[in-house]
Amino acid sequence: MARSGARAVGTTITALDRQAAGVSPRGSRRWSSIALVAPAVLIALFVVGGGIGFSLVQSLGLLPLVGEASLSLDAYLANGDDLVRGIGLSLAIATASTALSCIIGLTAALVITQGRSTGRLVAGLSAFTIPIPHLVGAASVGLLLSDAGIIPRILGIPGTEWPDIVGGSWWIAVVLEYTWKESAFVALVVAGVLASRVARYDETAALLGASRARRLRHVVIPLARPAVIVSAIIIFVYTLGSYEVAWLLGRPYPEPLPVLAFRLFTSITLTARPEAAAVAVVTTLISLAVVALGMAALRRTPLWK
Amino acid sequence: MNGHHPARAGLAASLTLGLVATLAACSAEAGASSEQSYESWDEVVAAAEGQTVKLWMYGGDEQGNAYVNDVLVLAAAEQGVTLEQVPIADTPDALNRILSEVQAGETDGEVDLVWVNGNNFGTGKEAGAWECGWTDLLPNMALTDPADPLLLDDFGTPVDGCEAPWHKAQFTFVYNSDTVTDVPSTLDELLDWARANPGRFTYPAPPDFTGSVFVREVLYSVSGGYENVPLAYSEEAFEELTPALYDELTDLAPSLWRGGETYPQNSNELNELFANGEVDVTMTYGPATLTELVADGIYPAGTQVLTLDEGTVGNASFLGLASTSGSKAGAMVVANLALSVEQQVAKAEPDVWGQFTVLDLDQLSDEERALFEALPTSPVVPSYDVLSENANPELAAAWVTPIDEAWRAQVLAR
Repeated sequence: MARSGARAVGTTITALDRQAAGVSPRGSRRWSSIALVAPAVLIALFVVGGGIGFSLVQSLGLLPLVGEASLSLDAYLANGDDLVRGIGLSLAIATASTALSCIIGLTAALVITQGRSTGRLVAGLSAFTIPIPHLVGAASVGLLLSDAGIIPRILGIPGTEWPDIVGGSWWIAVVLEYTWKESAFVALVVAGVLASRVARYDETAALLGASRARRLRHVVIPLARPAVIVSAIIIFVYTLGSYEVAWLLGRPYPEPLPVLAFRLFTSITLTARPEAAAVAVVTTLISLAVVALGMAALRRTPLWK
Repeated sequence: MNGHHPARAGLAASLTLGLVATLAACSAEAGASSEQSYESWDEVVAAAEGQTVKLWMYGGDEQGNAYVNDVLVLAAAEQGVTLEQVPIADTPDALNRILSEVQAGETDGEVDLVWVNGNNFGTGKEAGAWECGWTDLLPNMALTDPADPLLLDDFGTPVDGCEAPWHKAQFTFVYNSDTVTDVPSTLDELLDWARANPGRFTYPAPPDFTGSVFVREVLYSVSGGYENVPLAYSEEAFEELTPALYDELTDLAPSLWRGGETYPQNSNELNELFANGEVDVTMTYGPATLTELVADGIYPAGTQVLTLDEGTVGNASFLGLASTSGSKAGAMVVANLALSVEQQVAKAEPDVWGQFTVLDLDQLSDEERALFEALPTSPVVPSYDVLSENANPELAAAWVTPIDEAWRAQVLAR
């Protein structure tokens, strides 16, 4: 009885939300809404499109710093091994950071929406985390957790016995830093979504006799899912393309894609610039693919409207 | 769907106008600049009045930053030039900026002067990043030795008046005499010491500047001295000489800090390891800063300079003038000022920066020479004469990138 009750609530949520969405805009309203977003879209196209286009052209050898321009894929092949390792490492870091951030962030969001004092504390901590730049976060993680960092010193553990958290082969410090900051992001986004909708459905399900666990599974998580997916896409793409944390807390080899791209870009070898552009193009393509996958997953959720 | 909504059309028009206006402004700026060339020093001084000069330099050296901002900036202001230091993580950042500006046709770029030498200079010269043939105008160039090999060629690239000398440097190993008791006297012995004391030695990963020169020192050592390595790059010499280098470094790796699985990413990280007592040896191109670091307690009290029997690499570093600079006269005034006796003495003061002078003491008056002789001696760092004994020449810049890249492939990625 309780199980079917919760399921029934789940399906009505979709129906209710569809109703709430109202009539679709048409005619002049549509044009004026396009006109309103046009400045933002044009600027974005100019900057992003220009940047990607320029990288693409440069990566294909059409804009060399010295020598003749000629169309070739040399820049993509020049660092084949490094590029493949970089893709693997970047995907691993982004996947680990995204998964941990979503799990911790969702849990924190649930605590926040409980509305008790712990919820307010977690909400406060998350809100406090958001404005701290990643660079400061990375420097702090380095100071705290490196071999000669503050924590091993307080604990009296010599650097040689302290695990290689910073600059180690598992990139733990990098994933930790991303998780710390991005889970706060997930917590706030998801808590915002849940706060506006969860109470009435949760109460309805409770009245119909659903247990806590069932309400979580059939009401709260489905409600949170679109927000979690959107946050996950943002985090994944961000961590895939972010440079400073991976550089500060990482090791010189293998290199994540942004670090590889930047090293090649700033290399004093003049021919390395197209290679840097090639790495940037590959990073962009992976990001676009991830966004496409994420959007497809989002469309499959019943609540996405 | 007639698409001719007035609001939208108006918006599109204003956006297009805005874009066109911006582009027009950009091209106008590029077109309006004039060629800056000067016949005499007086013309330069007159043109420099009121100019702002941005000096891009490695910003990881506190004393260097302090010297530039507290001493050189004030002296430049007296000559009517506003000098601003732009601290950067690594010199290629500045070179890249200039190259981007060259590519964009910029003539009033963000970079005016760059503290530069070696392959950054050589690559930049090849790509037209530097203004050339201007150092003859500087009156203070007369204080340098016109035949000084360190000032004529920069890592094998002829200087050709594309950069004005600033300091001399000597690559130096530094050790903690409290923990290193059996002090090595050659590089070979140093590497043996590292093998006998696993985990207590490492070097920054090339292409870091310091790590890169360490690898070249090892190349000299395994080749039986610098005489056996041709300074000019050739693929044959590379193929013949470098296998022994990479064998040696690969063999050394397991004895390094963290078992050679990873390396400090730059010389700062190595210096931190040394300061924290995690390794017993560090290395630097700026030994003069050691006195201050020991006095401040950052480095252990037992810090000493390790002089090697076969000598180490010495070089000079320069102020390069960006070809895209819009304040060339001001930059020349600053470069001339930096070469003056007052500034070279101030900079050589160990409390200030402790950089070795590029001036030829024989060209100076007795009073001027006395200023240099009155500089205090350091308990940590021997004088430049001692340090630069048997100084090895730098390999040509063309060697540097192949050596660094092969190191990444063969030692780092092993």
